[in-house]
Amino acid sequence: MAKPVIEVRDLGIEFYRTRRRRMSLREMVFKGQSGATTETFWALRDISFDVQRGEAVGLVGGNGSGKSTLLKMIAGVMLPDSGYARVRGGVAPLIELTGGFLGELTARENVYLAAGLHGLTKRQIDERYDEIVDFAGPQVQAGMDMPFRHFSSGMQVRIAFALITTLDQPVVLVDEVLAVGDRTFREKCYTRMDSMLSGGKTLFLVSHSEPDLRRFSERGLYLRSGELKGDGPIGEVIAQYNADADADAAS
Amino acid sequence: MIGVSQFNGLLAKRQVLRTLVERDLRVRYAGSVLGYVWTVLDPLLMALVYFIVFTLIFQARQTGNQPYFLHLVTGLFLWQWFASNMSETSRALLSESRLVRSANLPRELWVVRVVLAKGIEFILTLPVIIAFTAYYLITGETKLHWTLVMIPVALVLTFLLSVGIGMILAPITVLVTDMARVVRIALRLGFYATPVLYSADMAPGTLQTVLALNPMSGILELFRSGFFRGEMNLLSVASACVLTVILLLIGAFVFKRLEPAVLKEI
Repeated sequence: MAKPVIEVRDLGIEFYRTRRRRMSLREMVFKGQSGATTETFWALRDISFDVQRGEAVGLVGGNGSGKSTLLKMIAGVMLPDSGYARVRGGVAPLIELTGGFLGELTARENVYLAAGLHGLTKRQIDERYDEIVDFAGPQVQAGMDMPFRHFSSGMQVRIAFALITTLDQPVVLVDEVLAVGDRTFREKCYTRMDSMLSGGKTLFLVSHSEPDLRRFSERGLYLRSGELKGDGPIGEVIAQYNADADADAAS
Repeated sequence: MIGVSQFNGLLAKRQVLRTLVERDLRVRYAGSVLGYVWTVLDPLLMALVYFIVFTLIFQARQTGNQPYFLHLVTGLFLWQWFASNMSETSRALLSESRLVRSANLPRELWVVRVVLAKGIEFILTLPVIIAFTAYYLITGETKLHWTLVMIPVALVLTFLLSVGIGMILAPITVLVTDMARVVRIALRLGFYATPVLYSADMAPGTLQTVLALNPMSGILELFRSGFFRGEMNLLSVASACVLTVILLLIGAFVFKRLEPAVLKEI
């Protein structure tokens, strides 16, 4: 069997209970304590799974079950405290979509900057620029030389989505972005994702929307309070999740 | 080996580094020369103020190298680069938190990028130093020496030293809220603990040894030597080289060590 595209082994990450561990030197010096709570919890623990090339995996779980954290570690923007998440080949992260964009630069400059951050050379961006703008739609096309912050948030997401999906990386990570955008754009996103899937990309999807999960993924992973509870066909995993959720609601 | 893998990671992403530095410069000089004027005007006015205070008001017996104004200009321009490196690298991760969170790049890049962009700004101010040097050459108040070839060495050392200290400051500032204030105070003290206004050989013997422990002291010796007497204090130069390497290693270690915590907090 070929080497898995995503390999996650004994992955764990520990957070401080207060989330922000802001310390202050003044407090350390004058009070002799760091002002930080030392109470911690494992947001994810002992997670292990493999994803093969071309697989489409949906990540299921309630709020705070560690889905986004897991996605961030696969994307490499967060580092685990134990174990590892290894990805063979580049990742196109549809997480915090507009994170790489700066309000004061024009949309055009932003496209070049963000694509550059994701490793595209200037020539590659030149080649794909029209494709990106086309996908984002005619309203966006007219304002490419406008400062980015003058775009509506929906438009900003359109540009970002168009850009990231044009990166042509073998692994695509999606975190709830399908919920944004109006109906026409959502349809376009679906078509784009279908074509990425049929193009042999590996898809890793986080969503609360059952139709989206069923539509794009064949395999499901179920996270519950930081532990991997289920791994199987998406239908079964969703059923397991729903059963747990119903049980929680009943108790 | 500590630092080597980090260096290789940065090298692999030099294209991204270039994009970021270009963006920094574009934002700073966007459509106006004002950005440039500020970089030059600040140290120049300070040089003028110190010149008036020490030569006209205090009428000091002894100032730094002669001509004193050139001594001030060379010192203040280089110090400005170093000082802005310190204050900017300490905020390097915080101020770009959105980018840090969304792009999988070697995080050291955010520190190097600041130092590099500030370095280019510094290089762009060199013509001002050259103009003053030319003036004092024509009036016959100074002669150039072969030690001018040490200038690039001084710049490389400033770069490496700043990256080293920056890699210590940037993650700590994310985790400790009042670090930025500490950096500001340390810089103000550091200014007087560095032979910017004076030259190290004017200090009494023991103090000279203490000054030699300041890496910027030796770097300034290297940088200035060619403009003035062509001599330099080899002890402080050697100490600057050693301290730069040590701080670079400590920086690489601290950065690697704090990186997971920083990514959780940012």
